[in-house]
Amino acid sequence: MTGTAYIQQIQQMLLALGADAGLSVPALQQKYLGANGAFTVLAKQIAELDPNDRKAAGRPLNELKNALAAAIAAAGSAESANDWVDLSLPGKKPAVGHIHPISQAMAEITRIFTSIGFTRVRYPEVDWDWYVFESLNMPPDHPARDEWETFFVDRAPDSKKGQMVLTTHTSNGQVREMERLGEPPIRMINIARCYRRQQDVTHTQMFHQFEGLVVDTGITIQHLKGTLDYFAEQFYGPGTKSRIRPFHFQFTEPSFEVDFSCHLCNGTGCKFCKSGWHEVGGCGMVHPNVLRAGGIDPDVYTGFAFGWGVERTYTLKEGLAIDDIRLLYSGDLQFLEQF
Amino acid sequence: MNILIPHTWLLEHLSVEIEPKKLQEYLSLSGPSVERIYERAGDNVYDIEVTTNRADAMSIRGIAREAAAILPQFGVEAKLKPLANPEVPAPSETLPLPTITENDQLNKRTLCVVLSNVNRAPTPDWMADRLTALEMNVHDAAIDITNYITHELGHPCHAFDYDKLVASGNQITITEAEAGEPFTLLDGVSYQAVGGEVVFKDGAGSIIDLPSIKGTANSSVHAGTKRIMLLAESIDAKKVRFASMKHAIRTTAAQLMEKNADPTLAIDVIRLGVQLYQKICGATVSSELYDHFPHPNVHEAVTLSSTDLIRYLGVAIPLEEAKVMLERLECVVVVSNESLIVTPPSFRPDLAIPADIVEEVARLYGYHKLPSRLMESAIPTNRPTDTNFSLEETIKEFLSTIGWQEVYTYSMVSEAEAAASGFALAEHLKLSNPLTDDKVYLRRSLIPSLSAVLTANPMRQILSVFELANVYHPTQNELPQQTLTLGIVSSAEYRVVRGVLEALLNKLHISDYTIETAAGSTEAILLLGADKVLAGSISYAAGKTAVHISVRALVAHAQSHPTYKPQASTATIREDLTFTLPKKTAVGPIMSELKQLDPRVSSVELSAVYNENHTFTIDYHDPTENLTSEQIAPLRKQLVATVEKSSGGSLVGQLT
Repeated sequence: MTGTAYIQQIQQMLLALGADAGLSVPALQQKYLGANGAFTVLAKQIAELDPNDRKAAGRPLNELKNALAAAIAAAGSAESANDWVDLSLPGKKPAVGHIHPISQAMAEITRIFTSIGFTRVRYPEVDWDWYVFESLNMPPDHPARDEWETFFVDRAPDSKKGQMVLTTHTSNGQVREMERLGEPPIRMINIARCYRRQQDVTHTQMFHQFEGLVVDTGITIQHLKGTLDYFAEQFYGPGTKSRIRPFHFQFTEPSFEVDFSCHLCNGTGCKFCKSGWHEVGGCGMVHPNVLRAGGIDPDVYTGFAFGWGVERTYTLKEGLAIDDIRLLYSGDLQFLEQF
Repeated sequence: MNILIPHTWLLEHLSVEIEPKKLQEYLSLSGPSVERIYERAGDNVYDIEVTTNRADAMSIRGIAREAAAILPQFGVEAKLKPLANPEVPAPSETLPLPTITENDQLNKRTLCVVLSNVNRAPTPDWMADRLTALEMNVHDAAIDITNYITHELGHPCHAFDYDKLVASGNQITITEAEAGEPFTLLDGVSYQAVGGEVVFKDGAGSIIDLPSIKGTANSSVHAGTKRIMLLAESIDAKKVRFASMKHAIRTTAAQLMEKNADPTLAIDVIRLGVQLYQKICGATVSSELYDHFPHPNVHEAVTLSSTDLIRYLGVAIPLEEAKVMLERLECVVVVSNESLIVTPPSFRPDLAIPADIVEEVARLYGYHKLPSRLMESAIPTNRPTDTNFSLEETIKEFLSTIGWQEVYTYSMVSEAEAAASGFALAEHLKLSNPLTDDKVYLRRSLIPSLSAVLTANPMRQILSVFELANVYHPTQNELPQQTLTLGIVSSAEYRVVRGVLEALLNKLHISDYTIETAAGSTEAILLLGADKVLAGSISYAAGKTAVHISVRALVAHAQSHPTYKPQASTATIREDLTFTLPKKTAVGPIMSELKQLDPRVSSVELSAVYNENHTFTIDYHDPTENLTSEQIAPLRKQLVATVEKSSGGSLVGQLT
């Protein structure tokens, strides 16, 4: 075919299209765009033209394509004016899966802390006693260890690092992060599975914690308070406050317990919080012995650390008072699909 | 450890006028946390959590001392009353004390005195009411007095039956038990020593007490006891903890002594005890007071500079102000050269380094008074390279968006689940102290746990679940390899699961992958990259498809963005070819072969399967020129010939 003949065919088809204005959308589609449709065939034939003719034919073919699209759109709007549509019909929902609530909480916690310069890390969940206890100023048989109901792995202990245990808290990341970085500044957020030998409606053998560690020159309790306030407000909503009260942990000195003001009653006291505050977990200024265990000079640097349960922190949100925490790890779809 | 403190009892040690709720608030902000207030027998009883480092506060007296230091900081006038227990009077008769063979390594102090004519009076109401409020059992006065004074002053004591001691030779040797030696506690439960427990032995070498933990039946007060030897000892804290934990005998005495209760307090305990036995039981003092205290505990002075306070608090607290606070805690304080030299009282072994003193000053100053601000220091930029948390989130987002459910299952599994992992049971790490039978082994595969989720949700005909979690592969002497793994188990058909996996790889911009399997095998492997790194597996069994992939391998091969390819300037020609294939023909190898036939066969997709008929959608494309019908015809012939040759299949229809 010559280029001229080809362009003539295009023009004829343009005319035919005008005459087909009364056709429905499917009819137009079948006539022009089907596997053997008029336009489909014509468009394929352009490949067979002489290269020079092909150039000349490109533009008219494109105009035809646009005209065809316009004709189909016009036919569509004409039809919808006549169609009877039942908008009271129920929707057909697509299959929607769910990210586990703990993943959702961890993502939110990660976002909050990384936005103020924390680096998220991951450390072993099966670790040596040295990292879990001893380097944290808790020698073997120390009474402070009673609070951690520890699972031991049936393996010979390491001569230097002691027994192999399931991590009872994310604090094993403290000395590991000091070792990774070698020197401050440190601004770590470590979120991980933890394990304790306990099980009831408020405890599961496996749970999650998030651990913050900040070490640098000039870090004071004021920065700890600032970080806690920032998290409280971001996680629970505007106006939520934090407070710290004296406590004791072997790996921090001074040590504190953290409360967040109840966002339901704004800290005035209600049936969810009793006295206006929710106890969330522990924190403190890093003990000099822990800094030393991580190779950091406590005469030069100070730091703070906190470590709380993800489950506890998350379920304090409004409407998430889950009555049996074991549901989280049950794989029960009726439960999980709510999130 | 929690302790119950009745308000009226507290007032016997503390001069103050305060509402219980206010006391709760102030004490909690600057000292031990008052968790609740109970109303019991007309009194307010505080339920107070005392931390493990503060054995000194585990008593009425200890809490009164804390309150006397804290309340003035809140503008409430409060004073600790002096202890007014009279000295033990001279004996009216002189009965021989046991011959005590001391061991100063194992025991810091021994105090004892014999009391005669002990009238076995019922416990008076005022004492019984208090013990009841403390949720303690009430016996009779001769027994309850020891519990009462322990609670009041925070150091345990024990009442021996003096006549039993005399009958066994009136000798006490403080020593370590040998393994296998028997003893029976006063509640009748028998034990065998493991060796190393500190015990009292009589002249014949029998164990007659488990000191600082619990008395034994052969020396304790019984119904007929008339003469008592009241004794307070102070066994080494580590030794107490060892024996108490070893035999799971967790008495109040053990919990105080393992936390280094101050032996200095023992004298006040004996004085108060003697006074109460005289008053309530009409007892008379019948021996000298024995007191062996070779090395009274004194703590070294700690020097704290004003800079230390600023380093931790970020504000300056005048040293004179800090001095007053510390003195209220009964520290001896000297201000010298912008420093405080602080000598802690005997009952505060926890004050040993400057940070300990900082804590005392800071809590009394009030944490709530310190400003709150974020760090202005440098942000670290050295991130771990082997993790990619946002990629993990992308995986979760993608799979949940297409309708799959993320689950969290336990890292520890049952014997049956471990055995189903593909590894022998013995090749698993095992807990030495599991809590329940279903969580004993550290899993090496997520699949048994995820299959269990499908089984547990039988109402869902088609269900696909996934989890990102570690699996634990043992190593010789090191920690196990803890491999973050994406596990998927689905009851959807195999092609759907595989299709999702392929779409996920596309989503992560991993284009270079192969899935290899042998014809008829129920297991395929996923290989990533040009060097074909084994990244995981797809397996099929009993209507379920399972995927197990190392997330680290995905991290290593994923791209944050695609590699842009310019839009094609030549046309792609697409057509369908349908073949009838013999039964049990593996389609994958045929498609691989078709794809490799000619570079102009740019894509081969399986678009429909109907019985033995398989329709492949073929794309022909040449980036340098538009392909003509004449060019495509021989390609098509080659495709058909290949299928016929490799599988014995035949084209449906005629070649044109």
